[in-house]
Amino acid sequence: MSPRHTASRTLTKPAKNLRADPGATEPASAFAVHDDAVPASLTSQAEREALEFPELTHAWPETSLRALPRQSLLHAHRLLFGWLRDPLTTVQVLLYPGLMLVMFKVVLGNSIGAATGQSAIYGQVAMMALIASMVGSMVGAISLQLEKRSGLLSRFWVLPVHRASSLAGRLIAEAVRIIVTTAVILIVGVLLGFRFQNGFWPAVGMFFIPLLFGLAFATMVTAAAVVGGQTKLIEMISLVTSLLMFFNTGFVPLMAYPQWLQTFVEYQPMSCAVEAMRSFALGTPLGNNLWYTLAWAVGLILLFTYPAIRGFRKAANP
Amino acid sequence: MTLTSTTGAAVASRPGTDRRYVGRRRRAAPSSLQQWWVLSLRLIKPIFRNGEIVSAILSPIVFTIGFYLPLKFVMNFQGVDYAQFLMPIIALQALSFTALSAAMKAAMDRVDGMSDRLKTMPIRAGTPLASRMSANLFRLFVSLCVALVCGHVIGFRFHLGWLNSIGFCLFALLVGFALTMGGDAIGTLSKTPAATTQALTLPQLILGMLSTGFVPITGFPEWIRPFVRNQPISVIATAMRDMASDGVDWPTLWPALAWAFGALSVFAPISIWANGRRG
Repeated sequence: MSPRHTASRTLTKPAKNLRADPGATEPASAFAVHDDAVPASLTSQAEREALEFPELTHAWPETSLRALPRQSLLHAHRLLFGWLRDPLTTVQVLLYPGLMLVMFKVVLGNSIGAATGQSAIYGQVAMMALIASMVGSMVGAISLQLEKRSGLLSRFWVLPVHRASSLAGRLIAEAVRIIVTTAVILIVGVLLGFRFQNGFWPAVGMFFIPLLFGLAFATMVTAAAVVGGQTKLIEMISLVTSLLMFFNTGFVPLMAYPQWLQTFVEYQPMSCAVEAMRSFALGTPLGNNLWYTLAWAVGLILLFTYPAIRGFRKAANP
Repeated sequence: MTLTSTTGAAVASRPGTDRRYVGRRRRAAPSSLQQWWVLSLRLIKPIFRNGEIVSAILSPIVFTIGFYLPLKFVMNFQGVDYAQFLMPIIALQALSFTALSAAMKAAMDRVDGMSDRLKTMPIRAGTPLASRMSANLFRLFVSLCVALVCGHVIGFRFHLGWLNSIGFCLFALLVGFALTMGGDAIGTLSKTPAATTQALTLPQLILGMLSTGFVPITGFPEWIRPFVRNQPISVIATAMRDMASDGVDWPTLWPALAWAFGALSVFAPISIWANGRRG
């Protein structure tokens, strides 16, 4: 550690005084400020410690793998608290999906149940869990664009931290958000008549599928947000999202769609995920739906990770 | 200086010219009509340039196919001609999107300081509001046309001749006008455009979904039917549906008219007050 570093630990005098002091010709003496410079009110040990800079305990280089988890978690922590403290985000991420689920159940539950002979709630819970994870990604992408515009991304870029920590932290935060919203959806679903009829582990699977799906979607939206850099792109994605929302098997069963549309509806990512979640809840045979979901998610992640990384770098160095 | 005084004198000497409107310290003699026209174009022209027209056209289309294709089978099962049934809510939804954009417009004018700027200029008090409302009316007209085209494509038809068809459109525009008036009032009073849109999405979602616009009353659970049957969107959608298909009678029409004019008579004064106050 440099002598300048150690000296800064004991610096308690405000910087303003440093500049005003014409006698400080030698830099070392300017930094090595001691007890005589401390105001009389700050003489107790505790108060002095509160003003000191924390000692560096983990000066890992920015490429080290040891730095990555800790710094990613810091970023995730920052994002999650930011979202939590913004009432708009909280409402959009937690309240809206739950409310939408209640709406769908009340408005369409009876009609769909009467026409198809099966309870609509299982499809609706699965669909809303997926939609909630997608909508949340949009919120994240908008906040990312704001950070880019305000220069915060560039600020992080010049700090001596691991290059991947910003993106990794974002994805960790997304994962936590998805788990929380899925839990909210499932609780609302249980209140509306949804039941885990298949035991504990499939219930865990109910969390796993929105998580995987949501992370894949978040990767895609993040890439769109940093590469495109325009709000139009996000709007386009939200348009596609709302189309996917109407044309999946969680909204109405496959047979209700017109013949020419059924192939698309059956194999689009949301339908596969919805069917896998429905099977997890009801204990019906999974078929290939889990594999299709995995393939979609892994495919999206593989396809959009590189653009997301490149875009992040570009967005941080405007 | 000389120039001003000479011209001033020259003009003033002419008989019938009011000195107050001449010279360096002259009073402004604004033409309200021209101001309204310029300010309206300020809001209408960007609609074509910034992609707002695309979203105004796309959202009813997405909305129409999103509800019609999946639910057609389910509703036919209940014996409902779904294209005919769905049309009023397609129109209303398109109009309520316009109300959202109206709120956004008003909020942006406030946030950007445009409203304050206009208040310092020799512009008649009502003109900014009037110009915003005429731009909104233009958006409403576009939305309604797109919604009618969407309806026509899925199989909606006016069965009852010109008078009822025009009544349908005029009534839709009236409801839309009341909604944009409300949107303008909220946008003018709110401090953040984002919060405005959020605040308006929720009532729109609840009232829109919990109405007889998408699903006949028999599709709802027993306990919520009284609310669904009597809430404004249901009442209005029923009246509009009758204007297109079965013929509307006075008992169906008057609650709808009452809601529309009631909303207008509440929102319009609020909007005028909100736009007129200083600070």
